[in-house]
Amino acid sequence: MSQLREPAFDRIVALVLRTGAFGCFFIMLAGLIVSLFVGGRVPLEIERAGVLLMLATPVVRVVVACYLFFHEKDYRYGWVSLGVLVILMLGAVFGIGEH
Amino acid sequence: MVTLLLAVLGFFAGLLGSLTGIGGGILLTPILALHFGIPIRQAIGTSLVAVITTSAASSSVHLQRHTTDIRLGMTLELATALGAAVMAYLVGYFNRSVLEGLFAAFLLYSAIMIVRSGGKLKPEDDSSPVLNGREVSIPPYEPKRYPLGLAASLVAGALSGLLGIGGGPIKVPVMFIFMNVPLMVATATSNFMIGVTAAASAMVYYRRGDILVEYAAPLAVGVFLGSLLGARLAPRIHTKIVVYLLVGIMLYLAGHMGFHLLRGVL
Repeated sequence: MSQLREPAFDRIVALVLRTGAFGCFFIMLAGLIVSLFVGGRVPLEIERAGVLLMLATPVVRVVVACYLFFHEKDYRYGWVSLGVLVILMLGAVFGIGEH
Repeated sequence: MVTLLLAVLGFFAGLLGSLTGIGGGILLTPILALHFGIPIRQAIGTSLVAVITTSAASSSVHLQRHTTDIRLGMTLELATALGAAVMAYLVGYFNRSVLEGLFAAFLLYSAIMIVRSGGKLKPEDDSSPVLNGREVSIPPYEPKRYPLGLAASLVAGALSGLLGIGGGPIKVPVMFIFMNVPLMVATATSNFMIGVTAAASAMVYYRRGDILVEYAAPLAVGVFLGSLLGARLAPRIHTKIVVYLLVGIMLYLAGHMGFHLLRGVL
């Protein structure tokens, strides 16, 4: 079964994505501004934090959706979300220490 | 200086992307590789960050219009994320010429497909959704042919992991034509899936050191601003001109990458 129009569900997931996008934007922008005045590692590490938060945003979105599905007792899609999460985590592990 | 140039580049890629509905990744990767001298694998990883940024920003807008089918998207993400992660891993073993050749071919193919469709990139414009005030009404539907949808999503995910693109041009028609999903929902859901798909491959690229943070940050900042402006301008700009501008840039990049490749081989 597939259905649209669950306003609360959509709104929460949208909030996660928007927070991630705006948060990363401001962190990266801060990194760029700092890099105008300070050289070296500090601005780079701020930018890295922004990039990592951006990579984490879709993962958080899956975690939140997973929680919401289980909370709604929609177990089927709860497990689907958990499966996506496992694949994402495997993907993160694949690349360790390559080349 | 390079930082400013990257932010400006991101801005225009984001603007073009949101005006035409084609993600920025297809332009950013070749420009980074050709004009900033970044090895193509790092160019792909770096532009993936911009792809995730665009997807997060634009899909939050679609979600608020309630046109995204989260259940369908999540199901197909099982396949796109798997395809993207596995392919991103395999890319570590591809050499530079193979990647450049594939990318040039893909640019050429996409440009031809856009021209053949008569420059109509934004299907949602033609589907004439019924607008009740700000609410969008969508007829009831039931997605069909999940195996086919999952198979196509696996391919779209693999392409995303290989080239650092979103894969919308595969997912949207499959959902619309084969899975019985209304076009508006297919577009929004495809957009929704891009973030997770790109993140699955981006994490592999990141662990391998193929995301250059000092390039990714200014690009993402620019892309973010550009897509915000694009979303505002979209209703007021004659899309066809923008689409042909995009096709022109794509052809130029395909040609340039072809030459670059030949010069390396000979």
